[in-house]
Amino acid sequence: MNFRLLKPKHMGMTMTNNNYIKRLILSFLAVALFAVPGAALAEQAPDAIKKDLLEEGKKVYFKRCVWCHGVEGGGDGPSADRLFTRPRNFIQGTFKIRTTDSGELPMEADLIKTVKNGLPGSAMPAWGEFLSNDEIVAAVNFVKTLVQDRDFNDTEDEEVTIQDFGTNPWGTKGPYHLGVPQADIDVGKEIFMKNKCFECHGGEGRGDGNPTMKDDWGFPIVAADWQQCWNFRGSRRNHYDPFNVVRTISTGLNGTPMPNFKDQINVEDRWKIAAFVNSLCPRKNIDRLTNKPVPDFLIQSVYTEGNVVGKIDDPSWASPDTDYRIVDLSEEQAENPLKHYIAMAGQITRGKRNFDPKTDNLWISSRWSAEEGAIYYLVEYHQRFMSDDPEFPDAVAIQWPAKLQDLFGAEKPYFIFGDSKKPVDIWKASFMAKDYSATAAPNEKGYQLDVSVTETVGNGFDAIADKESEGKVEVVDSIYHQGRVKVMFKRSLKTEGEFDVQIPSEQFIPVAFMQWSGRDKEHDEHMAISTWYYTILKPALPASLYYMPPIIAAIFICFQGWLVWMTKRTRKMYDEGKARRDELPK
Amino acid sequence: MNKTLVSFLVFVVGLAVFHNAIFPIFTPKEVGWILNRYVYFLLFVAYLLITHFMLRLKPPISMMGLFVWSLGFYFYKVVLYPPIPWTLFITYMVMWSIGTFLYVSQDPETFREFRKPIVKAIVGEYKLAQIVLLTFLPLLVGWATYQSIYPSYQEPVELRTVHPAPPATTKVHGKTYPLESTNNPFRIDEQDNYKDSFPFLDADKNEYMKYVTEGGTIYFQNCHYCHGDQLNGLGMFSHVFNPTPANFIDPGTIAMLQEAFLFWRVSKGGPGLPNESTPWSSAMPPWEEHLKTEEIWKVILFEYWYTGWHPRTFGTEGSDG
Repeated sequence: MNFRLLKPKHMGMTMTNNNYIKRLILSFLAVALFAVPGAALAEQAPDAIKKDLLEEGKKVYFKRCVWCHGVEGGGDGPSADRLFTRPRNFIQGTFKIRTTDSGELPMEADLIKTVKNGLPGSAMPAWGEFLSNDEIVAAVNFVKTLVQDRDFNDTEDEEVTIQDFGTNPWGTKGPYHLGVPQADIDVGKEIFMKNKCFECHGGEGRGDGNPTMKDDWGFPIVAADWQQCWNFRGSRRNHYDPFNVVRTISTGLNGTPMPNFKDQINVEDRWKIAAFVNSLCPRKNIDRLTNKPVPDFLIQSVYTEGNVVGKIDDPSWASPDTDYRIVDLSEEQAENPLKHYIAMAGQITRGKRNFDPKTDNLWISSRWSAEEGAIYYLVEYHQRFMSDDPEFPDAVAIQWPAKLQDLFGAEKPYFIFGDSKKPVDIWKASFMAKDYSATAAPNEKGYQLDVSVTETVGNGFDAIADKESEGKVEVVDSIYHQGRVKVMFKRSLKTEGEFDVQIPSEQFIPVAFMQWSGRDKEHDEHMAISTWYYTILKPALPASLYYMPPIIAAIFICFQGWLVWMTKRTRKMYDEGKARRDELPK
Repeated sequence: MNKTLVSFLVFVVGLAVFHNAIFPIFTPKEVGWILNRYVYFLLFVAYLLITHFMLRLKPPISMMGLFVWSLGFYFYKVVLYPPIPWTLFITYMVMWSIGTFLYVSQDPETFREFRKPIVKAIVGEYKLAQIVLLTFLPLLVGWATYQSIYPSYQEPVELRTVHPAPPATTKVHGKTYPLESTNNPFRIDEQDNYKDSFPFLDADKNEYMKYVTEGGTIYFQNCHYCHGDQLNGLGMFSHVFNPTPANFIDPGTIAMLQEAFLFWRVSKGGPGLPNESTPWSSAMPPWEEHLKTEEIWKVILFEYWYTGWHPRTFGTEGSDG
C-alpha cells in the first residue's frame, strides 16, 4: 500500500514544488522503511473530495441519511433524540472508525467500509447490500463536504498517517477465530491490567467501569462491552476478528474518551490484548442481517435426580456462554444446563415507550426435579451500572400464561402483560445491590442483592393486579458481579393459586421475559421485553435407552443368521439337484 | 489394470473434480441458461458415459447399480435447488432405489451377476466382507435405535395469517372510515413526479414533499426501531419480535395493499388484529394511541415515496395503473 504514496492521485498542478519534494522524500523513506515491520508510517494528504460525485451524493444523502444525521450533518435528524449512541455529527470531522492516527481525518476507504457494514449495536444499518457501490462512494464524498471545521481538500494543514497494524500472528480464521494460544491470552490480560483498561471497560470487560463518561459533544457514552462483541461498532460484521480490536487500540475512537495506545503498547502486544478481549466474547451463531446472536427459542430445563442445588456458583450450574455446537464443551460441563440467549428490545408498543433499553439480551438456564417438585430458572444479564435509588430498583421478570390449560394450540396471551381473555402470571424480582457505588473500582467478590419478589396477574396494560394467593415464587440466590446480574428463581411445579401457571413436564410452555434498568428510572411498562419463547421440562432419560438397542441388535443378528442359513441351504439344494437354478436365456 | 477399478476411479475422482472445481462455475449468482446446476449435472453424466465408452470400461452390474444410485443421491442431495425437506428426500430416494433395483434386475443375467457378490459375502466366500457385514450392521442397527429413542426437542412450528382480512370500517380518533372508499388525504399529486426531490430541502417549495418530510420525520422517530432505516424490516429491535416486522421493500407487503388497509393496520396495531391472526405476538403498537390521524396518513405517504411502490387501488377513480 505504500507504493500508492509515490503517486498520490490528488497531486495536482497546484501543489508547490517544495511540498512535492518533501512528499517525494517522505514517500521514499516510507518505502525504505517498509522492510522494517511496524515502522512504515508516512504522512500524506487526506483523500480529496471527488467533486463530480457530489450531485449524486447529495441525492443519496437526502433520501437515506438525512433522517438521522440531519440536514447539515450535525447528527440532529428527527430520530436523533430518541437514539442512545446518537447519530454522528459530521461538522467537526470527528470519525470513530479509522485506520489513521488518533485525531486525524479518516481515509475515504474507512468511511466507505463504515457505510457498507454499518455500525453494529447502533441504529446505523449496513448499506452495502442496499445501495450500489457508486451510490455509497458518492454519499461518502457528500458527507465529506458536510465537515466544516476541517477540510479534506487542505493539503497544507491536514495530514493523515495510515497506521501499520501488523498481521494476525496466529493466522486464526473467521468467523470464530478460535485457536489463539492461552499463553498469549494471559499475556494480553496482564497488559490489560497494566494499562488500566478496566477503569472504563470494567474488571471482566463488560463496560461497567465508568458511569460518568461523555463524548466530545457532552452526550453520555458508555465503554464497549467486550463480552458482546457483536455490538462492536467497528467490527465490520466480522465480530470475532482480533484485528478490529487492534485497530481501535491503535487509532483510538475520535470524539469519545477512548484514547489510542499506539506509543504506549507495541503492535505485538496490541494483538495480545486483542486476543484477550476476543477470548471474552462467547461464540454464538451471529445472524448477518441483524448482527445479533440467533435467539435460542426453546429453553430446555434439564432433569435432575434428587434435589436441584439452588446455588449460582455450584458446579452443576457452571455452563459456558459459548455455544456447544461451535466449541466443544469440557466433559464436566456437558451435563450442565445450556445457557439460552434471549433477545430483548425496548417496550415501544404502549404507554411510556422505552427507545433506549440498556440491556439487549438475557441468558437463561434451567433445571427441574420431579422428586423436589420444583423448577429453577437462572436469569443472567449484563448491566453496566446498577441503580442507587430505592425508588427505582433494578428488576427482572418471567412471564407465563396464567391459564395454560385453557390455551388451544398455538394460542397465547398478548405478549406484553396479557389480554382481557388470557391472563398472564408474572414473577418479578426487584433488587438493589448492597454497598454498591457505580464509580468504585472493580469488586472481585461482586455485590449481594437485596431482592424482593412479587407475583402479579396481567390482563392487559392497564389491568395488572397483585395476586390474591401467591404461588410462593422464591429467589434462592442472586449476585451482581463485574457488570453481570444473576438471579435464580424457584417455584413448585404445582401450586394452589387460581392464576398460578401450572408447569407440566414434556410440554411446550410459552414464556417471556421483562427487565427494568433502575438507573434509567425504568418502571412499569417502561422496560425491556422479549417475545414469547418456549420452555420444556425435559424428562429423565428413559430406561429403554439402555435395553432397547441391544435387543434390536440381537433380533437383527438372528435375522442375519437366518439369511446365511437360508442362502447356504439353497446352494446345497442346487448342488444336490433338489432345486433348479433359474435358466438364462440362450 | 483392472477395468473395474478404473471405472470406480473414473467415477469417484471425476465426481470430486466436478463437485469442487466445476460446480462453483455453474452456480453463479445470476443463473443463466447454460450456467445452471442442472446443465452441470447433465455434463457430469455425459462425462461418465463418454469416459466409459472411450476407455471401453464395462464394470459389473453391481457397480453400475451403485453408480446409478449414487447419481440419484447426489442429484437430490446437492444439485436440486432449492433444497428439499428430508422427508421428501427420503421419499424420492426410496423411489430412486426401486428404479435402480429394476435396472439391475432387468434380465436374469444381470440380476444373477448383481446377486453374485452379495451371495458370496453372505455364505462367506468373501470372508472379510462377511465378517464386516455381520458385525457392523448389528452395531449400526443398535446405534440407530439409540438415536431414535434418545429424547430431543425442537421448538414447535407456528403458522399465522400474514395478511388478515380487513374489517369493512375502522374507527380512529372518533371517526369511522370505510376501508374500501377511504383514500390518503395527502396524496395530492402523482408520486412519481417527486422521485428525485429532496425531503427537507424541497419541503418549502412544494406541498407534496412537505408531507413526505413530515411523514419521514414521524417514521424516523417511531417506526425505524422495527421496520428499519431502510424500510426493510431490519430495525435495531426487529430480531427480538416474532412475527418479524414487515419489510416494505418486499413486493408482497405495501406494494399489494391499499392505503386504507395500511391505515387500519397502523392505527390498530398488533392488539387490533382479528382472531385469525393468533398467536398474538405482534409488537406493532396501536398507533392511534401515539399519533394523530394525519400523522398516520403522512407516514403511509412517506413509505410509498421512499420505496417507490404505488398503493393498490380499486375502481376507476384514482387508479394510476
